[in-house]
Amino acid sequence: MAIAGLPADYSPPASTSKLTPLAKGSLIAAGPAFLAHLHVTKLHDGDHKKYDHATAAARAAAAPLSNGVEDDLGVGEESEDEALLSLDPKEWKKQDQYRVLGLSHLRWRATPAQIKVAHRKKVLRHHPDKKASDKAETAVASALGLNINTNDDAFFKCIQKAHEVLTNSERRRQFDSVDPQFLEEIDDVPTEKEFKSKNPPPFLPSFAPIFERESRFSKTQPTPGLAVPTSADVPLRDRDPNDIEGHEFATLKAHVEAFYDFWYNFDSWRSFEWLDKEVNEGSDSRDDKRYTEKKNKSERARRKKEDIARVRGLVDLCLSVDPRIKHIKQHEKEMREAKKAGGANKGGAAGNAAAAAAAKKKEEEEAEKVRKAKEEEEKTEAKKAKAAAANAAKKARRAARAAEEGA
Amino acid sequence: MAPKPTPNGNAAQPAEDAHSNLPAVVGINLGNAYASIAVYTKEGLAECIANENGERQIACAIAFHGEEIYVGNQALPQLIKNAHNTITGFRNLLGKKFSEIDQSTASSSSPIIQHPTESDTPAYKVDILQPAPSPLPTSATTTPAASHAPTPRSEPVPSTRILTPQEATTMFLASLLQSASDFLGKPILGAVITAPPSFTPAQKDALKKAAEDAGVRVLQLLDEASAVLATTTSPQWPHGGEDRTQLVVDVGASSLSLSVIALRAGLGHPIGSRTSSNTANIGGDALSSLLVKHFAKEFTKKTKTELPQPPSSKEDIRATTKLLLALEYTKRTSSASASPASLSVESLHSGVDFTATIARMRFDLLAAPVYTAVSSEIKSLLESISLDPHDIDEITYVGGTACLPGLDGHLLSSVGFNEEVQTAFSTSTMGSGAIGDPTGVLSIGCALQAALLLRVQEESPELIEAFEQTEQVETIARTIGMIFPGGADAHGLGGTYIPALYKYTPLPARRIHEVEVTLSGGEGDKATKFGFEVWEVEEGIKVEKAIPLKSDSQDDDEDEEDEEEEIKIKTTTKRGFLGAVLGETKGTAVKDKANKGAYTAVLQIEFTLGLDGSLHVEARSNGEKVGELEIQP
Repeated sequence: MAIAGLPADYSPPASTSKLTPLAKGSLIAAGPAFLAHLHVTKLHDGDHKKYDHATAAARAAAAPLSNGVEDDLGVGEESEDEALLSLDPKEWKKQDQYRVLGLSHLRWRATPAQIKVAHRKKVLRHHPDKKASDKAETAVASALGLNINTNDDAFFKCIQKAHEVLTNSERRRQFDSVDPQFLEEIDDVPTEKEFKSKNPPPFLPSFAPIFERESRFSKTQPTPGLAVPTSADVPLRDRDPNDIEGHEFATLKAHVEAFYDFWYNFDSWRSFEWLDKEVNEGSDSRDDKRYTEKKNKSERARRKKEDIARVRGLVDLCLSVDPRIKHIKQHEKEMREAKKAGGANKGGAAGNAAAAAAAKKKEEEEAEKVRKAKEEEEKTEAKKAKAAAANAAKKARRAARAAEEGA
Repeated sequence: MAPKPTPNGNAAQPAEDAHSNLPAVVGINLGNAYASIAVYTKEGLAECIANENGERQIACAIAFHGEEIYVGNQALPQLIKNAHNTITGFRNLLGKKFSEIDQSTASSSSPIIQHPTESDTPAYKVDILQPAPSPLPTSATTTPAASHAPTPRSEPVPSTRILTPQEATTMFLASLLQSASDFLGKPILGAVITAPPSFTPAQKDALKKAAEDAGVRVLQLLDEASAVLATTTSPQWPHGGEDRTQLVVDVGASSLSLSVIALRAGLGHPIGSRTSSNTANIGGDALSSLLVKHFAKEFTKKTKTELPQPPSSKEDIRATTKLLLALEYTKRTSSASASPASLSVESLHSGVDFTATIARMRFDLLAAPVYTAVSSEIKSLLESISLDPHDIDEITYVGGTACLPGLDGHLLSSVGFNEEVQTAFSTSTMGSGAIGDPTGVLSIGCALQAALLLRVQEESPELIEAFEQTEQVETIARTIGMIFPGGADAHGLGGTYIPALYKYTPLPARRIHEVEVTLSGGEGDKATKFGFEVWEVEEGIKVEKAIPLKSDSQDDDEDEEDEEEEIKIKTTTKRGFLGAVLGETKGTAVKDKANKGAYTAVLQIEFTLGLDGSLHVEARSNGEKVGELEIQP
């Protein structure tokens, strides 16, 4: 009910009085209102506007953290193309489980909570019950002879399979080990040749992402990154591509040593059970089963070995072209020489110049040596490659012979 | 050969345990006779929980029987046959010196003695059986020669144990904490425990130490009024956020504490309080002894077996204790339902069983002295702070005895509260662990406070100290209200009166009132003007004598009460004019036919009372400022 309006002849009383003097009192130290009172009086000088401002800011800051009804934890929406929707649930092992759940932007980084959210979203859209409700529309289409399978729950089955895989931590790791996107990425590795060429690719931007993506398999987390950590958060592309400038020598050396130490002793959980051949369901022959199991086991071991060799090759390559190693060696030598020179003749410009000249000469020698060492290394690499090729050829021959015999 | 690590890696990684975001805190109401615990349940609400024996009210008792130790309600039956090894009432002895303890009232439990080694320290001495010493370790080499060592005894060894009240409290709290962490399934991060306001700092320290020895971090020791406040201002409480005046009636086993608190937007400002203990006819124990007398008489009448009260012989004491324990259930039944409560004790005295029932009417008649004692205490408290019972908006009952509907009825009729006063009975939040249940109010408040303190510690640790001391504030001495001239006049103030800031509102304060007003100053959409006055008012009570209307049919009944009935009416008188807010705003046309052509607007009127005592009134319409008033102190 609205209150009646002011009378037409209204005029407020002329004399005003002050507030009655305030009384003293105390407050009981309990309850959320008391906390709010403390906030207003102690932190915001009793000003409600300041308090409102601060609480609004705090709420805004906390909003993304608190998962309300609408918050999907950053799962988002992904487009579903025809190829994805026509996936065959029988071929579930070959499907990209993350793509099916619409998590391909997160992949191995997706948390269990995000997987749950993503699954729910997909189920809401693709549940067979939902499809059935669209029947009326599609009935017309099918009457016209168009082939629209209304009862097709194939993609829903794919979703369920993907959810099953990704919610079981062990099976998820098995899938992550052979994640198709990762397999694509590891083909894209700079070769030694590129670094040998006249204008080699920048060191840091080409190697940092490689180690970044390999680090997901490490049993010990977090892993040391290639770049020397800095206090300021500088994006990778703005940094010195050789990652030498702007670091203290001691920290640089310590980090580089720790980095190579870690990656040469890399302890990976990557495994290849996912690629196992299925035991033929039809046969109950124990021998068959054992044979396949044995085959799978040796295949897993072979793949693991290959993977270890691959990572090692990467680290080798990185080490061989790391400008920081050169820098460290040179710097240490200079220090040694400066010390020696300092001991031989104390002061004296001539002495200094001589020392500098000597240092320069040494540097040249050093460079020569490095080059020679590299050549040597290359030679051995080539030799190795040759041997490997020979080996492979031998293997192929043997396989062919085996096949012949089998036939 | 040692097994080689499999070369193809291992996909197994330690599973992360799920973290739930409920605060792992416990609120403990530690009374002298009974305790209760509250935690956050899965629904995210603080609730008083039952321990593993299914008891929500846990007796503060510890009994030693041979190798066994009983804690809680299981210890109570031990009072019958094993009284000298049963410890009760240890909370009130916390932190007290032996010489300070009043030994005059005989207790049925283990006597308090002087600690044998520590000077001036009270202690309990209980007989226990120590577990049998473990058999001697057999020698490594098996030898046919007989051992020289005597064969170890396989029976437990009788011995005595000296317990200080503090150690007893630690044992008891540890069992409460165990129940709470079993319920939550995770370790407890912190606890808030009640401590009566009568506790000295030494006693509070002793309680804190006892709790810390029990293995929990004490976030705060809360007095009862504060714990009640925490519960009654929470969103779980009906009308929790409203401004009101509250009377807390805490009827303990042996004490009564009353406090009147002005609740202003969740802030509690105590207006007056009173604690009386060891007074005649106060508390649950007094009620029990009245009932014991009644039933003892009944027993003698029924069975011709003497059960003198007060008991003198050992057997009489035992019978009385049995009766007391059985009465506990009678009292609870009487609180819970209107049907007659039964009492039955097997072999009460000289092998004679006793069964009786008591109707609620009879029960209330017996308990009348206790009820009267409570109501007279309330009357004298209200008189001492010159507050009319009519001004109390809510009564909050605390303690098991306050569960009795008879007490509520007696207080409402004899003290003279107004008819709309809110109690746990009127809002039907009584019983079975509901929020208003007098037995759970304190522990729920403690749990709420514990969760709050845990959050404060994380977010702004600099404020945590303020929770330890009482905060001194200034409050306004008179109610400030708005008067809309020309409006319907219910209070005789020359307009519609809307209270804005009630008396005792602490500074700083802010209230926003939404008011729909009819605009004036022209016809149709030209009407844009609104206005109201801001006044200081004084609220009072007018007592009118009225002769009750006689209805012809009930003439016989009415003859006796020809007295005039007192009718209390709240009055409001203007005291000081602070200013007027006049403004203009655009309104919307009224839909209904009676007021066709009128325009109304919804105003948000914000009253802000600064720390310096300045009052700022701002009227807004659709987020736009349309009028304001500033009053300097």
